[in-house]
Amino acid sequence: MGHYYRSLVLMLTVIKPGLETSVQDLPGRIGYWEQGFPPSGPMDFWSFQLANLLVGNAPGAAGLECQYNGPTLRFERDAVAAVTGADMTPTLDGEPAPLWQSFAVRAGQVLRLSFARLGARAYLAVSGGIDTPPVLGSRSTFHQAGIGGLAGHALEAGQVLPVAPGEGEAGRRVIPACRPPLSGARSWSIEAVPGPNDDWIDAAGHARFLASDWKLQARSNRTGFRLEGPDWSFAARATDKRPEHGEHPSNILDHGYPVGTVNLCGQTPIILVNDAPSTGGFINPYTVPSAAFWKLAQAKPGDIFRFNSISVEQAQELRRGINRLCTEDSIEPC
Amino acid sequence: MIYDEPRFLPGGDRYVTVEFGNEMNLELNFLAQGLATALAQNGTKGVVETAPCFASLLVHYEPNDIRFADLVAELRALIDSLGPSEDIELDSRLFYFETMYLDPWTKECIADYCAKITEKEYDPDFVARINGLEDRHQLVRVHSGSEYWVASLGFWPGLPFLQPLDPRAMITCPKYNPPRTWTPQGTVGMGGSASAIYPVATPGGYQLFGRTPVPIWDTEKRFDVFDGNIVLFRPGDRIKFVPVTQAEYEAAEAKIDAGSYVYNMVDYQRFSVRNYHRWIATVDKDERF
Repeated sequence: MGHYYRSLVLMLTVIKPGLETSVQDLPGRIGYWEQGFPPSGPMDFWSFQLANLLVGNAPGAAGLECQYNGPTLRFERDAVAAVTGADMTPTLDGEPAPLWQSFAVRAGQVLRLSFARLGARAYLAVSGGIDTPPVLGSRSTFHQAGIGGLAGHALEAGQVLPVAPGEGEAGRRVIPACRPPLSGARSWSIEAVPGPNDDWIDAAGHARFLASDWKLQARSNRTGFRLEGPDWSFAARATDKRPEHGEHPSNILDHGYPVGTVNLCGQTPIILVNDAPSTGGFINPYTVPSAAFWKLAQAKPGDIFRFNSISVEQAQELRRGINRLCTEDSIEPC
Repeated sequence: MIYDEPRFLPGGDRYVTVEFGNEMNLELNFLAQGLATALAQNGTKGVVETAPCFASLLVHYEPNDIRFADLVAELRALIDSLGPSEDIELDSRLFYFETMYLDPWTKECIADYCAKITEKEYDPDFVARINGLEDRHQLVRVHSGSEYWVASLGFWPGLPFLQPLDPRAMITCPKYNPPRTWTPQGTVGMGGSASAIYPVATPGGYQLFGRTPVPIWDTEKRFDVFDGNIVLFRPGDRIKFVPVTQAEYEAAEAKIDAGSYVYNMVDYQRFSVRNYHRWIATVDKDERF
């Protein structure tokens, strides 16, 4: 059926790749963590799922994550598309295209995303979903290891992205109250759950973490978000420990890294995100819960993070709140 | 120490670390892998996947399917049902890996580090010296004298963190400081008391003393032994490094390039912690090869 099927497949031609634009899906690469594979997947899974719902896809279908500066793509067949998340002032053949709303694209039309004017990551869904070959059960790109997506890496000019056949409907939009509340403010209140290694930090260290401004550094990507702020101080167990834990107070016998964990590498906290290593030898005093990932995804270097300590149960309730918004109930006709 | 009761450390809304102790001790890894196996067999609702480390198991769960407190109760019950670590038995494949110790490629890498980053003693001499061994040749005898246990995989997908199963092969060394910017694919080295094989060329911090031509990373599905996966090893595998000459290394490499290489792997054994303990009790740990 190969040839006939392929002729039905919608193609997107990459004219300009943008900055590290990648194919991602949900829930990402699950089941290979014990062998060291991170889950990957879209960082702002809230905006991502809404984009898919707009074009009639399953909420986890593969789409594009565009970072800071979006791609320019030519549609080789008619399709329905939607862009959510950051505002990269999308245009279709030079005319403004809507955000948070499905729209029809005709064969030959060019969709262009520019610099992110609000937020940092935009999501493009196309009816049918991106149809690159799954690798270890997922189409998500994990570019450091060169797997998933298209040829294992971010998009490159001249590449052609296959899209599966799909039925989409133009003129559907996400109810404004159901979208992540992007404001353009450069400071963020980010939830953080104490643990797994909160007992390695002394009381002053905890107070300082929660009371200080943390500046997002430019050296941040889908592996980790580096923060700049005051020094940490440690509890006795961070220094009084067996030699296999290493020399620095932030060193610990290699252990697993939860996705979202605030990994203290010396004095530099790095929030480990979707493409982060699964294990390592630094402590994790706090973990950013999944419900705050849309904020991480939409923050820009130089933005200020303030952390707000919440319980595991509160973090799970926040996530349930987002899950309730990632459904057809959040969509209305324009 | 090995804790009397494991600790359950939350990691945000979807993760919990089960910490069995706070030292480098194979027992703790047996407990972590025993729990991972029991979770998989038990099909505990809400558990998405797990990742073992030296002394702990990280559990990824779906909070819509199970509450944190209920998960901890389930984990505790499962750990109790495992009984003492003595009773743990794990499926364990054994891989024989042709390895050229004191090879020219890692030597070149070390020389490049000395020239560009900072001067240091040749790694095999350094590791031999600080472990009280006669010389680099005894390091090779000691290091190749044991089977290695895949305790966990990480840093890079498929990179095995290895512990020697024979206490007579236990050696330790610090990591590079600052780290290296590159390491040849297939390099065998160690840091702390863990050995590792580098799946692909990456930066790294381990002391280097050998290289294997045998791929442990294969995106092109060239070898059936990967069984459709990209990485070769799973936790609980074992590896035996077999010292070879450069000519033997190159002969193996030629077969690998031609796609005709046959992995030397045996898969008929279960690793019994009780039998391991029984044997270890008969070994003089201060003996060296």
